[in-house]
Amino acid sequence: MMKNREYLRLITKISLVVLSLTFLVSCNNEDYLFDLIPASKTGVDFQNNITESDQLNILDYLYFYNGGGVAMGDINNDGLPDLYFSANQERNKLYLNKGDFQFEDISESSGTEGMSTWNTGTIMADFNNDGWLDIYVVSVVGINDFKGHNELFINNQDNTFTESAAAYGLDLQTYGTTAAVFDYDMDGDLDLYLLNHAVHTEESFGRAQIREERNEKTGDRLMRNDNGRFVDVSEAAGIYGGINGYGLGLAISDFNKDGHPDIYVGNDFHEDDYYYLNNGDGTFTESLRDYFGHTSRFSMGNDAADINNDGWPDLISLDMSPEDEKVLKSSEGDDTYQTLKMRTEQYGYHYQFTRNMLFLNNQGKPYSEAAILGGISATDWSWSALFGDYDMDGAQDLFVSNGIPKRPNDLDFIRFVSSEEIRTKINDTRLVDQTALEMMPSGVVPNYMFKGSGDGAFENKNNLWIKNIATVSGATAIGDLDGDGDLDIVTNNINESAGIYRNNTENANYLKLRFKLNSGNGHGIGTQVYLYQNGNVQFRELYPCKGWQASSEPIIHFGIGSATSIDSVKIIWPNNTYQVERNLEVNSTVSLSEKNNTPYSKEIKNELPLFRKVSDKLGITYRHKEDNHTDFNYQKLIPYEVSDRGPALAVGDIDLDGKDDIFLGGARNQKSEVFLQRDGGFVLSEYPELAKDSISEDVSADFLSFRNGTQFVLPVGTGGNNIGNSLNSLKNRSIHIRKGELIVDPKSKTPTNTGKVLVMKNEQNQGMSVFYGNHSTPLDYGNIPESYFEGPYRFATGTDNRLGMITDAVTEDFDNDGQMDLIVVGEWMSPKFFKNNNGTFEEIEMLDQPVSGLWQSIIPFDIDKDGDLDYLLGNWGQNSKFKASLNTPMRMYYADFDENGTTETIIAIEKNGKYYPLLGLNELSEQMVFLRKKFNAFKDFAGKSIEEIMGEEMLSKATVFEVNTLSSGFLRNNDNSFNFVPFPKELQTAPIMAFAEYDFNGNGTKSVLAAGNYFGVIPFHGRFDSFSGALINSEKDITIGSKLGLDMEHKSARHLKVIDLNNQPYLLIVYNNDEVQIYEIERP
Amino acid sequence: MMKFRFMKLRDPKNTPLVGLILAIFLVGCSTSEPIEISAEDYTATVDKVTEIMVHDIFSPPVASRIYAYPNVAAYEIMIQNNAGYKSLSGQLNQLEPVPQANDTTINFRLASLVAHMDVSRTLLFSEDRMASYRDSLYGVWEKTNSSEFEKSRDYGLQVSEHILQWLDKDFYKQTRTMPKFTVDTEDPSRWQPTPPAYMDGIEPHWNKIRPMVLDSAAQFKPAPPPAFSMEKESDFYKELIEVYEVSEEITKKGDESEEIEIAQFWDCNPYVSVTRGHLMFATKKITPGAHWIGITKIASKKAEYDFDETIYAFTKSSVAMFDAFISCWDEKYRSNLIRPESLINQNIDENWEPILQTPPFPEYVSGHSVVSGSAATVLTDIFGDNFSFLDDTELPYGLPVRSFSSFNAAAQEAAVSRLYGGIHYRAAIDEGLDQGINIGNLVIERLEMKL
Repeated sequence: MMKNREYLRLITKISLVVLSLTFLVSCNNEDYLFDLIPASKTGVDFQNNITESDQLNILDYLYFYNGGGVAMGDINNDGLPDLYFSANQERNKLYLNKGDFQFEDISESSGTEGMSTWNTGTIMADFNNDGWLDIYVVSVVGINDFKGHNELFINNQDNTFTESAAAYGLDLQTYGTTAAVFDYDMDGDLDLYLLNHAVHTEESFGRAQIREERNEKTGDRLMRNDNGRFVDVSEAAGIYGGINGYGLGLAISDFNKDGHPDIYVGNDFHEDDYYYLNNGDGTFTESLRDYFGHTSRFSMGNDAADINNDGWPDLISLDMSPEDEKVLKSSEGDDTYQTLKMRTEQYGYHYQFTRNMLFLNNQGKPYSEAAILGGISATDWSWSALFGDYDMDGAQDLFVSNGIPKRPNDLDFIRFVSSEEIRTKINDTRLVDQTALEMMPSGVVPNYMFKGSGDGAFENKNNLWIKNIATVSGATAIGDLDGDGDLDIVTNNINESAGIYRNNTENANYLKLRFKLNSGNGHGIGTQVYLYQNGNVQFRELYPCKGWQASSEPIIHFGIGSATSIDSVKIIWPNNTYQVERNLEVNSTVSLSEKNNTPYSKEIKNELPLFRKVSDKLGITYRHKEDNHTDFNYQKLIPYEVSDRGPALAVGDIDLDGKDDIFLGGARNQKSEVFLQRDGGFVLSEYPELAKDSISEDVSADFLSFRNGTQFVLPVGTGGNNIGNSLNSLKNRSIHIRKGELIVDPKSKTPTNTGKVLVMKNEQNQGMSVFYGNHSTPLDYGNIPESYFEGPYRFATGTDNRLGMITDAVTEDFDNDGQMDLIVVGEWMSPKFFKNNNGTFEEIEMLDQPVSGLWQSIIPFDIDKDGDLDYLLGNWGQNSKFKASLNTPMRMYYADFDENGTTETIIAIEKNGKYYPLLGLNELSEQMVFLRKKFNAFKDFAGKSIEEIMGEEMLSKATVFEVNTLSSGFLRNNDNSFNFVPFPKELQTAPIMAFAEYDFNGNGTKSVLAAGNYFGVIPFHGRFDSFSGALINSEKDITIGSKLGLDMEHKSARHLKVIDLNNQPYLLIVYNNDEVQIYEIERP
Repeated sequence: MMKFRFMKLRDPKNTPLVGLILAIFLVGCSTSEPIEISAEDYTATVDKVTEIMVHDIFSPPVASRIYAYPNVAAYEIMIQNNAGYKSLSGQLNQLEPVPQANDTTINFRLASLVAHMDVSRTLLFSEDRMASYRDSLYGVWEKTNSSEFEKSRDYGLQVSEHILQWLDKDFYKQTRTMPKFTVDTEDPSRWQPTPPAYMDGIEPHWNKIRPMVLDSAAQFKPAPPPAFSMEKESDFYKELIEVYEVSEEITKKGDESEEIEIAQFWDCNPYVSVTRGHLMFATKKITPGAHWIGITKIASKKAEYDFDETIYAFTKSSVAMFDAFISCWDEKYRSNLIRPESLINQNIDENWEPILQTPPFPEYVSGHSVVSGSAATVLTDIFGDNFSFLDDTELPYGLPVRSFSSFNAAAQEAAVSRLYGGIHYRAAIDEGLDQGINIGNLVIERLEMKL
């Protein structure tokens, strides 16, 4: 009781503040899109009240705060969806919808209050196929004295129900989270997937394989409907049931659109999520790794829906990353680099990171994860995600419910508070110190509302569409409660009244469909609908059991903006027959049944992909293998690795037989390899001279032949950032032919990490120069090394040779004076143009304004087809926690802050007008211990700006680097001055590391192929694995690699090169720490 | 008037005017009592340091450093007023003579305590906690006899400054930014992070810290551990199985068994992380060094040591332990041996958990053994063999009192507790204890302290 009052007080306080704030805001804005209607008006007085006791609290039951469920559906067939709420500890409630947001509590009379000790999710579905919705309530049974079983309330068609779970075989007693109905075996009736959660210790990872040993309490259950009796077929169907399955999220969708519904299960903690593809024969194949490069770590609720209107279902999986700077910096975040490495490589788990994930469906190919790019990666302690076109503009929006009464991952609590209060009590006596629990900070926060743009981008609409009110909202259902055609929202809240949000959308049109089928699946669960409107398509599937522990109204809802007519609607029924409706009125609710029984066959595109993988790789059996060196162990605050820039690639005629051969320089402790071209392919050749160089880490190489192909030079630049016991790994060298022998000449220079080696022909005198574009000083990142020419070329007097952290360079006559000039790009710098004045290179300003980026690659290409050369630039992309803009550049401070002889770098990004360090106190103090003395508690550190943390004086002695764009894009040539134009969103999912120009289409016009992805970052950043490459024909004509037959996802490319074998072009892709790929180019 | 006096007199650069006021004041307060400082005041300060260390969470090697330097500072002041002791300058590595007091009316005990608190405060994270403890003492002393307090405090701070300059060159600062330990995942014999927190290996460069007495970190390099082998007949495997079997056996006996009591009594893990779902917290205890500091206190009290003798005992034992950690950590990252928990989970029983949480650093040799060996040897030298005592050091952490017949008996028990705890093989315990005894004997042999 005490607690509730405290909550009320708190909430009142926050509400008052929010109210006064929003009042000010709403003076300048139209009314909210949603109004929260109070219980006093609706009559929905349900509260999910949680009472902590010494016997039962978050210490005894890990999911104590996960909340109850909510189901929305029309139980009396009066056209208005009714509401059912399950409560954890109290009685469940059923409310009849009387219209106009008036509800009548019929819980008691309907006989649906339930009897289980601890209820979780609830769903509505017509289990007995009588046309009336029944109610299924999931419970946790068998721990903490929780009694009862899952209950099935069969609708007596008179507003009363009879609990009949046993008769249906559904009186299961497991650690249930929620359930979903779908017809997985396509036999015309509804089957059920029961999602259970583990309570097993998560203190040690254990082998990933323990998921294969079924546990009856924690393992998920697939229940097949055999004539009204549900039979557990999990094992035979290939469903995992291990003791480590912390099942919290459940989404059903025909993800690969083969006509059979698939399953995505989100698992909490270290257990991987499961992606079950339906084999169509009653079994599933778990395929997560093949399709997902990484997932959310503490996976909670999820939702599948087509958010970019390409006709394929996308997926969001929620986690708990906070947006608020203060919460972010005082909460436990991601694993350390080494822990993640151990969990993935040794224990066999997949990559998981602590933030929301948005998986864009690449038409059945591996997903692109783009939550940060989409603006929805951090919504705090999140439970339910539901896509819906809330403003009915034709693009799906997103509602996220969140909040937790107490934040158990608060760092001060973990390290300081807890110990002194709890001490040994918990382990020894099981006594719980209530005061200790009270010391966890509150996680009562406002829900999130995002407006979708239809292309994967979302815009935060908090305080515009919904009022910011701090709540603990969990299970959520959507539907049209008042029959006005827009989607209303209902949330089940902990310790306060359920949230009923009335949607006030006006001046936008809709179409609402409900289905009435004659099969055992009367509501048409699994029906797919395409709405065609003015050349656009919208796609929906009817799987109402979605979000989090809930089911929504079983309808299909489309928003169509201002359109007043609909071109056509195609409905594909669960039995894979279809029909097209052409005369559906806007702003109507239409009930549809099957007619014609026309079988639906997928439009199989018979287009051949442009690229076809060659399995024998033409004999180029090269696999790059990185050494065990980790930059983060040496320079703990380095923003990304610099030791993973290899391998080096050079193509040219090494054995002087007139055919191009391939040189691949290895990582440290891996020797360089040469593949010589023979008639049928390439053959690995032994050059003992090269074997001696295995100590060196080769990152860049180039090739130039001269004297009619009788001589060549092959300079190799090294890197690796690893000094180790000798500097030999950083020694550049030059490979060439002398008197018929392959010679390796070591070059002695100050050890540096090379960025780019480029051979430049001296046009004047037939000679050559080699440009060494250097990137960084080993173990002193931020100290810019000198770049230089070897040979007659030189920089003009007065040029600072420390050009920047060079990553790439090209030679091109950008000023059309007949001399090949030099353009260099790198990190924390703007591209630099050097004009060639008879061998002397002078920097000249060619950009209308500097564009400082983390540039990785450059290629000249006339992308706008105006006849002059533009320059395509690969940057870091927009799908990362780095953040930069022209007005608020990302900053990097470089200095020996603590004056101990070792330099460090600190990244700071702007948020709401202030700069904050990207990393938290744990990370920063690992390098700068003085911060632990300065900030004794995390709460003292959290929310502080970089100036407040480091002190102005300390910052003032640092060198400051800046980046003002992270977008990849191109420099448009406007009559010899250039301006930067970013690429479209699809090319911003990951760093772009390499380009290649070629007539890939075989139409006489050259295109550029781009490749990327990058993994050399700490788990805080995740993995940039979602770029499948792109073929850039022109500014307006860009095709993503997954549509071209390229398999580049989840691998980090370094080089693209087109090679010729017997007059047939092949594409060679060289990856870091992986094997190379060869593709045949299938030109029409 | 009072306020004015307080503010001005704290200023060490007294102006003539203030001097005049001071003189007037002194005349006016000629009844000032001398400030009494007892052995209990010293041990209470050491206890305060321990308490703050537990809050701040310092690893065992770092904790040993936070004990040693303040004691040395206090000792170097104390000896100026007691001809029975000899300075450690010239005896401890690179320690120069501290500035001599040129005023014989200084309260050297008070100055000792001030220096101890000041050096401690600098080494701890939560300075404010130490500062508020200090300020409460300062307040009392000031009230009792402000002139005695101030000149003694000033001298204490002067020596503290000297010690801080000395410790600043012990390479600690440099080791903070040295590389983290890189886990070798390919060699099955190598250490790897252990459940539940899978923390990185701590202090991989502790062997680079300047020792106080040892010639080098490797001076008492122990014999290598039994060769790694998973062959059932190998010595290594036998030791591995012994850990598993002992653990299974005593687990069967239950929590009340002597072995489990011993394991828990000597756990001395500063940070035991506990996870309950999304709820995480830590149970924090003192370090093994702190436990022996506690025993030193118990012994000093039982022997009715006065202030000076107490400082002597603390200084000698903490110096020995400081070097013990350097020596032990040198071997840990040399042999880089995998913990029993990793191997048992991988090869014998994947659900096995040790009775104690495995600490985050390589197995060989046992830190408890080296440290206990060194401390017990030194304490035996100070207090004599067969010095029995009741050890209530762990009482604040919910653990019982244990009685020991001698320091060596306690060290033996501390060492073997790691086998019971399931976190060390036998060799690490036996070899570690010998290594510690060698260090203790070297400290006894080299350091001329009590004349």
